[in-house]
Amino acid sequence: MSAAPNIAQGSGREAAPAVLEVRGYSLAYETPAGLFHALKDINLAVRHGRTLGLVGESGSGKTSLAWAILRYLAGNAREGAGQLLISGEDLRTKTPAQIRDIRGRRIGMVFQDPSTSLNPTLTLGQQLAEVLVRHRGLSEKEARDQGEALLARTGISRPADMMGRYPHQASGGEKQRVVIATAFACNPECIIFDEPTTALDVITARQIQDLFVKLQDETGVAALYISHDLALVSRIAHDLAVIHRGTIVEQGPAQQVFSAPRDDYSRRLIAAVPRPTHRLVHNVPAATGEPLLRLDKATIRYGESTLVERLLGRRQSEVVGARDVTLTARKGEILGIVGESGSGKSTIARAIAGLNAFDGTVKLGDRSFGSREALDRAYRRRVQIIFQNPDGSLNPRQRIRTILSRPLKLYGLVPEGGLDARVAELLEQVLLPKDFALRYPHQLSGGEKQRVAIARAFASEPDVVLCDEVTSSLDVSVQAAIARLLVDLQARTGSTCLFITHDINLVRQLAHRILVMYRGECVDVFDVDQCDAPDRHPYTRSLLDAVPAPAGG
Amino acid sequence: MRDLLRHPTGLAGAILLAVVLLAALFGSFLAPHDPQLFHPATRLQGPSASFWLGTDQFGRDLFSRILNGARTTVAFGVSATLLGVGFGAMIGITAGVVGGWIDSLIMRLVDGLLAVPDLLFTLLIVTVLGGGAGHALLAVAVAFTPGMARISRSAVLSVRTREFVQAAVARGESRAYIIGAEVLPNALGPLIVEATIRVSFAIMLGATLGFLGLGAQPPSTEWGLMIAEARQYMFRNPWCVAAPGAAIAIAALGFNLFGDALRDLIDPRGRR
Repeated sequence: MSAAPNIAQGSGREAAPAVLEVRGYSLAYETPAGLFHALKDINLAVRHGRTLGLVGESGSGKTSLAWAILRYLAGNAREGAGQLLISGEDLRTKTPAQIRDIRGRRIGMVFQDPSTSLNPTLTLGQQLAEVLVRHRGLSEKEARDQGEALLARTGISRPADMMGRYPHQASGGEKQRVVIATAFACNPECIIFDEPTTALDVITARQIQDLFVKLQDETGVAALYISHDLALVSRIAHDLAVIHRGTIVEQGPAQQVFSAPRDDYSRRLIAAVPRPTHRLVHNVPAATGEPLLRLDKATIRYGESTLVERLLGRRQSEVVGARDVTLTARKGEILGIVGESGSGKSTIARAIAGLNAFDGTVKLGDRSFGSREALDRAYRRRVQIIFQNPDGSLNPRQRIRTILSRPLKLYGLVPEGGLDARVAELLEQVLLPKDFALRYPHQLSGGEKQRVAIARAFASEPDVVLCDEVTSSLDVSVQAAIARLLVDLQARTGSTCLFITHDINLVRQLAHRILVMYRGECVDVFDVDQCDAPDRHPYTRSLLDAVPAPAGG
Repeated sequence: MRDLLRHPTGLAGAILLAVVLLAALFGSFLAPHDPQLFHPATRLQGPSASFWLGTDQFGRDLFSRILNGARTTVAFGVSATLLGVGFGAMIGITAGVVGGWIDSLIMRLVDGLLAVPDLLFTLLIVTVLGGGAGHALLAVAVAFTPGMARISRSAVLSVRTREFVQAAVARGESRAYIIGAEVLPNALGPLIVEATIRVSFAIMLGATLGFLGLGAQPPSTEWGLMIAEARQYMFRNPWCVAAPGAAIAIAALGFNLFGDALRDLIDPRGRR
C-alpha cells in the first residue's frame, strides 16, 4: 500500500542540536485517592527543523507534558526528578518573570479549540499585535503591518480585513490560522501543537495540516505535535513517540514506528487505525425488493418561533436542519452517513428516531408516518438509536440491570421472571460479564458504557438501528472494538443500520453504501466500492481527499 | 458523608447543626429550670452558677428558655422550607416539563414575585392573614415558592436535554415515567442543597416576624420573640438579647455552612 506518504519535509538535518529536550521528567498529581503518576521518566528531544509527533489516548499524559513544558501546572501537581531544557537551559530553574518572557517568544503554542484560545472581546488583529509589541518591542503601527504579513503567510486572503474582525466573525479554520500566525509571530525556537485540528471539520483540518507542514519547513522551527490521531501524525511528523499511561513506550522515525511498531501497545494502537481496504463487513444485502426504511422529502426545522415572535411577524429564529432529504435503506444494510458538523446528519437520525419534528414521510416496511406525533410505540420498538456520548445516554442513577430491562418491560418482550436471564444474555452479547448488571454507569469505562448502550438498543430486537457518532467520543483502540461489535451484531440480527460519522476511513470500512450530507442537503449516495468513480459529487471528492487512507498495514 | 466531614466548611456546619438539633430534640429534658418559672428575686441577672446565661425581666432562666425554644425555632424553619420547596418544586417542574407558553407565563409571574424582597413579601402576607405562628409559617413558605420554582425549573431543564432522557423519549416512554424515573432523580441534588441553605433564611425570617410581634406570641420561647420582649431591658442585662441572638446565628450558620458544603460536593465541576 502506498497511499498517503509522509509529507513532512526537510528531513536531512540529523545532526542539528536538540532545541527542546525533556530528560528523565516525572510528574504526579495529588488526588484524594493518593498520588496519580501522570508522567514517568519521560525522555524526548525535538531538533531544529524537525517535528516530533507525540501520540497517546486520553489520559495518557500527553497534555500534562505540554503544560509542564510551558510551566503552567495545576495546584495539585507534584514534580519529580528530571529536566525540561530549551536550547540547553532548564526551564525548571527559571523565575516566573523569565518564564513569561519565554512563553510566546521562545516557545509558541497552539491549542485544540481556537474559539476558546482567543479572547472574544478583542479583535484578532489586537491579539496578534499584542504578542509582537510585548515580545519584539515593536510599535503599534509596526506590529499591525507585521501582523498582516504574518496572516498573509498563513493563507488568509484578506489579512487587513481579518485583523479588524472579532473571533465570532471568523470561521474555525480562520481562527486557527490566526492562532498559528500568533505562535509563529516571534520566530520561536519551538512550538507546541496540542491537537490543533481536532475541533475542525475534516476539510479545514487538512488545510491546517498542510499549512503546518509548509510553515514548519519554511521556518525550521522545532515542533512538538501532540495528537491522538496516529495516522495523521505519521503523515506530518518526522519522528514519532507513543505515550501510554505516562510512559513513552516507543520512539523513532515516524514511518518506521508506523509500519513496523516494536512495542505491543503501539502495535495495538496502529492496528486500530481504520483502513478502508480492510473491510469489516463481508455480506451484501439482497438488492431486490422494497427498501425497509424510506425517508421521503423530509425537512427538519429547529427553533420554532415563539408566540410573541409570531405576533410581531418575526420568524428569523427558525433554522432549517435538513432540507428535502430522501433516503432508503434495505434490510440488513449498513448505510453510512457522512458530512461535516452542522451538515444535518444527526438531525436526520433524530427525526427517524422520533426526537425531531419533521415534514415529509417516514416509511418503515409497509407503514407510513407523516409526522412525529404519528410515530407510535410499535414503530419506536422497531427503530432504536444509539448516541455519541455514553456518559450522557445512560441514566447515572440507575443500575445497568434497570437500564437494560427497561425496553424489555416497556415493549412487554419478556415475562417478568425471565428479565434477569435476558439481561445477562444481552450483556454477554456485547461481551460484558453478567455481574455488570449490578453496577452503576460511573463504575464502567467509556467503551463499556457504550457497549451497554448498544445492548439496550438491540434489546428490543429492532429492525433499524441508528448509530449517531457512536465511536467518536472513544479512544482509537476502543473505537475499533466497538465498530467490530456493532458490525457483528448487525450481521447476526439482520437489522438495518444507519451509521452516522465524520470518520471517512471508518465508514469506508463498514458501510455498504455511503450518503453524503452538505449544509442540510443530501448531495451524493453511492456504493462503497464506487468511492473513486468519476461521477462523484465534487464535495464528496474533497471530503475523501482530505482524509487520505493511512499508509502501511 | 465522609467527604462532607472532610470538607472544612462541611465539618463546621455539621458540628453546629448537631448542637442545634440536639437542643431541638432533647432541649426540654436537658433544661436545668422550668422555662416559664418566675424567679422574682433574681431578675435581669448575668450568668451565674445556677443560671448559666443569666435571667430575663421576670427572672426566667435564659439557658432553659433557649433550649426549649430550639424546637419551635428549628421546626418553624424546617417546615416552612419544606412547604415552600414543595410548592415551588411543583410549579417549577410543571413549567420545565410542559414548556411552551405555559412555561413562559408561569416564569414571568414568578419573576415578578421574585422582585419583591422575601421579608417584605412575608410581612405583606402576615398583614393580610393576621399574625400568629401558623400564619407566619405559611407566609415564609409562600415567600420561598417563587425562588424554588425557578431553581427546580432550571434543574429539570438541564436534565431534560441529556441524552438518557432523549433515549427514553425515543423508546416511546410515557411522560410520567420520564419525569418520575429519569428526570426527577437527577434533578433532586440541587433542590436539596438549596433547601438546606434556605432553612437558615427561614429561621431568620421567623425570628424577625417573632421580633415584630407577628409570629409566635408570648409566653412562647421562640428566639425572635425572646429578643423582642427583652429589648427594653437590653442595657440592664445585655445577656437577655445576646443569648437568643447568638442561638439564632448558630442555627442559621449551621444550616448555611452545611448546605454550602453539600453544594460543593454535588457540583461535579468542584470534584476531581
